[in-house]
Amino acid sequence: MSILSWLRRRLHLDEDDFQEEVRAHLAIAASERMAEGSDAKTAEYASLKEFGNVTLATEAAREVWRPHWLEVVRDYADDARYAVRSLAKTPLFALTVIAVLTLSIGLNATVFTIFKSFYLTPLAGVRGSAQLAVLYTETNAGRRLRVSYPDYKHLRDHNRSFSQLMGSCLATVNFGRGRGARQLWGELVTGNYFDVLGVRAQHGRTLLPSDEVAPGRHPVVVLSNLLWRREFSSDPDIVGKTVEINRQALTVVGVADAKFHGSVVAYESEVFIPVMMAPSLGFANFNLDDRRSPAVHPQGYLKPGIGVTVAAAEMATLWETISRGGPLGDPGLSIKVVPFWRSPTGGQTYMLPAMMVLSAMGPLVLLIACANIAGLVLVRGMARRGEIAVRLALGATRARIVRLLVLENLVLALPGALTGVVLAMQALPLLLSYADWLAAPQRLFFNVELDGLVIGFAVFIACLCVLVFGFVPALRSSRVDLVRVINEDASPRGASRGRMRSALVVAQVAVSMLLLVAAGLVSQSLDAARKADMGFDGKQVAALDVEVKLNAYDEERGRVFYRKLLDTVRTGRGIESVSLAAYIPLTMSDTRATPVAVEGYVSRSREDLAFLSNTVGPDYLRTLRIRLEAGREFEDRDDEAAAPVAMVNETFARRFWNTPSHALGKRIQVGTEWRTVIGVVGDLKYTRIDESPRGCIYVPLFQSYRSSMVLHMRGEGPVSQLVDQARAFVTALDPDMPVLYARPFTELMKGPLVFLEFSAVMLFVFGVSGMVLAGMGTYGLVAYTVRQSTREIGIRMALGATASSVVRVFIARGLRLAFVGAVLGIVGAFGAGRLLSSVLFGVSATNAAAFLGAAGVVIGGVLIASMIPAARAARTNPLDALRHH
Amino acid sequence: MTLHSTRPEARTELLHGTLDMLILRILQWGPQHGYAIGQIIRAQSDEVLQVEAGSLYPALQRLSKKKWVTSRWGQTEANQRAKFYTISPEGKKQLLREESRWAELVNAIGRIVKPVPEK
Repeated sequence: MSILSWLRRRLHLDEDDFQEEVRAHLAIAASERMAEGSDAKTAEYASLKEFGNVTLATEAAREVWRPHWLEVVRDYADDARYAVRSLAKTPLFALTVIAVLTLSIGLNATVFTIFKSFYLTPLAGVRGSAQLAVLYTETNAGRRLRVSYPDYKHLRDHNRSFSQLMGSCLATVNFGRGRGARQLWGELVTGNYFDVLGVRAQHGRTLLPSDEVAPGRHPVVVLSNLLWRREFSSDPDIVGKTVEINRQALTVVGVADAKFHGSVVAYESEVFIPVMMAPSLGFANFNLDDRRSPAVHPQGYLKPGIGVTVAAAEMATLWETISRGGPLGDPGLSIKVVPFWRSPTGGQTYMLPAMMVLSAMGPLVLLIACANIAGLVLVRGMARRGEIAVRLALGATRARIVRLLVLENLVLALPGALTGVVLAMQALPLLLSYADWLAAPQRLFFNVELDGLVIGFAVFIACLCVLVFGFVPALRSSRVDLVRVINEDASPRGASRGRMRSALVVAQVAVSMLLLVAAGLVSQSLDAARKADMGFDGKQVAALDVEVKLNAYDEERGRVFYRKLLDTVRTGRGIESVSLAAYIPLTMSDTRATPVAVEGYVSRSREDLAFLSNTVGPDYLRTLRIRLEAGREFEDRDDEAAAPVAMVNETFARRFWNTPSHALGKRIQVGTEWRTVIGVVGDLKYTRIDESPRGCIYVPLFQSYRSSMVLHMRGEGPVSQLVDQARAFVTALDPDMPVLYARPFTELMKGPLVFLEFSAVMLFVFGVSGMVLAGMGTYGLVAYTVRQSTREIGIRMALGATASSVVRVFIARGLRLAFVGAVLGIVGAFGAGRLLSSVLFGVSATNAAAFLGAAGVVIGGVLIASMIPAARAARTNPLDALRHH
Repeated sequence: MTLHSTRPEARTELLHGTLDMLILRILQWGPQHGYAIGQIIRAQSDEVLQVEAGSLYPALQRLSKKKWVTSRWGQTEANQRAKFYTISPEGKKQLLREESRWAELVNAIGRIVKPVPEK
């Protein structure tokens, strides 16, 4: 006897045996009766009658053996099977619910995946990366800087909060030389970087602490897997070969693991270089011995049981001891420790406002979907009143009915969730490529992965919605008045019947309103950002980035090159003006701020007197149409032979000299040189679109040589032609000069707007989805009401009402609901104003146009949704309606 | 068999327990088959208790599952095939437990229905 049959014997009634036992009983009973004188037939019949219901007895016997939980499971399985069959009979309902779930769950799964990629698993290939903590310093003025190398070492060696502390710094590096040179994102890292992150090498080795001993002595590099595959065609002998980075030859010692993309969220780091090589690679401000030179962001995992606040306190104490012993001149630097999601570098901080808004919108769409589903379930329940009545009459408990209805909904939840995930799977690549396009030529990487966590999330949400929002309608549906139903009295009576339905419509309208207002506000924001006055005009300007050092030019040759370039371009046909600049507006960075001393101004203790600065050529203001407030701008004559000059912007001038004109002739010290202010320039947006006015100074290129400059060329005609022209000019001067990029100036502005655009697109999608769902819900419910009222309509029409008056009645009902919903939505939108304003730019959260527009769409939608069934109702023949009831 | 109780579940439990006890008691006197057990209950109670087959056979299954009885096919005196049930040692222990509980119950009810007269 096998184990299976042994098990079966213990878990089940032995059916054959039992039947035989029953037969034996009947035989004995019959034979006794025959012994008393009955004939065979009568005896048999009487025995059977006396026994009772064999089926019931068998069932009872079976039940003895069935373990309770198995029975429960059986029950549910039966219900589920019945649910599927009954759903198959009303495919429209099933498909609608699945469609509703697909849309709302798809959206939420998308948002969740994005959220996961930024905050839950921010670094690909690094396990538990969300638990990393990051250190940075902050000046009195709120500028966030990296920690200097000596300070990092001290903190690394003396802290007790971190298991290990590594340091890294994101940098752009020039890869290769000559015409094929390109710019890449890379990281300057300490020796323990790979160890702390737990990243291994696929080939060769990673960087080690032995690569962090002395400056310039470690000309090695680790390539990212992507770079190795793309540039070196996965060359298996890559280890030992040399590559040229910033014109230095570095030996490749390894290729990083394929899953790793660097330690800065959203950036694709392609080379990893020992921090000791920074000075020799030409990173000018990277001084490994100077406490005042910001170097790296220390990061690491905290020891178990130690929280960020504890670590922050310890670091602050350590910082005290360092500061007391160190050189003065620190503009009130304090040390901060934050969890990874609040790191000052990386996309997660930029995305935070948008993420918060999206995370709020997702559940809202879900709410609409839930109201939709609740409405559908309610309507369906009412349509099945007859069936439910019969069940109740046969002895089913209300609990059982509710369970059946809820199970029907759950059966839909699973496919709904899965199709939602599929939708997300289609949407995410679209979004990512859109983001890539926005950010080009920067190489971005998002650790977006639709894994089991997302699927589990989707299924969980779907089941939750369906359970919560299908439950109450199911409850309602189970409460059936048997008498009325059996009398086929189908018309609803009393206001209470419609109240739940009305509430659902109102809820959907209100939430859609909220979503549309948000979408409207963000679209306007985007528009405002695009049109905003940044202080310059980049249209009709071509930008071209040149790094002459890449072609082995020293300073003398470089100066000659730039002069010649400007001269040549100026004579070009259709060229209005040309200039050079080191940095582009909107993309400057706090860490590049330079300390500036102002003659006659005594700085307060620990005051942060570092300002953004730009090195520009002659005609800069003219080329970018920047306002000149006072004085003049740089000209050809401002070269090394002339007196040192500078320009300052309006904010700077007002801060130190009250008015722009008073600034002229004053002196400021930049670096070691005292310069005279000869011009005051209008303010620009330097680092971000929504920054507050800040000071900025300009120094002339030919008095402060830089090898890396961006050519700005303004001319007539299509900008793409200007770009080609610019390239031609450079190539004419030196065919081997690498051009790092050449594109219309306005395209450089795309980057800062990436996240705003991204948010706007997503919110728009949310708004539209919400409206579609609400429209569907409204239509369904109004159509149902109409159907229920056919009798009423018939009576009205028979009594002389015109078709149009019938239509008007229903439209009026619909509009009333829309109005209430819209008002609630407006109230909600006001409340959400504060949350929204973090994403908005140039638009107040109470902008009338957005509210009016949203209200219009919402009311219009409800109007249409009410009109269609109403019009159909008006076409009813009164006689038919009365007969049909 | 009718024993009243407020909750249907409790009623079933009471019924089950009492029936089990009766069956075990009868089997104490020797192995029997299902038909005979039903007859004996009727006869011994002067036709007061009439167990339906629909209750008896599930009860026998219950007792088998709990290992309080064992079963075996055999022949009746009239040479007819029948499944005979025998009380097991555990069944005997259970019978003692049931009987003492029943006695307690009867005692308790008796005290209420016919209170002890004051001395």
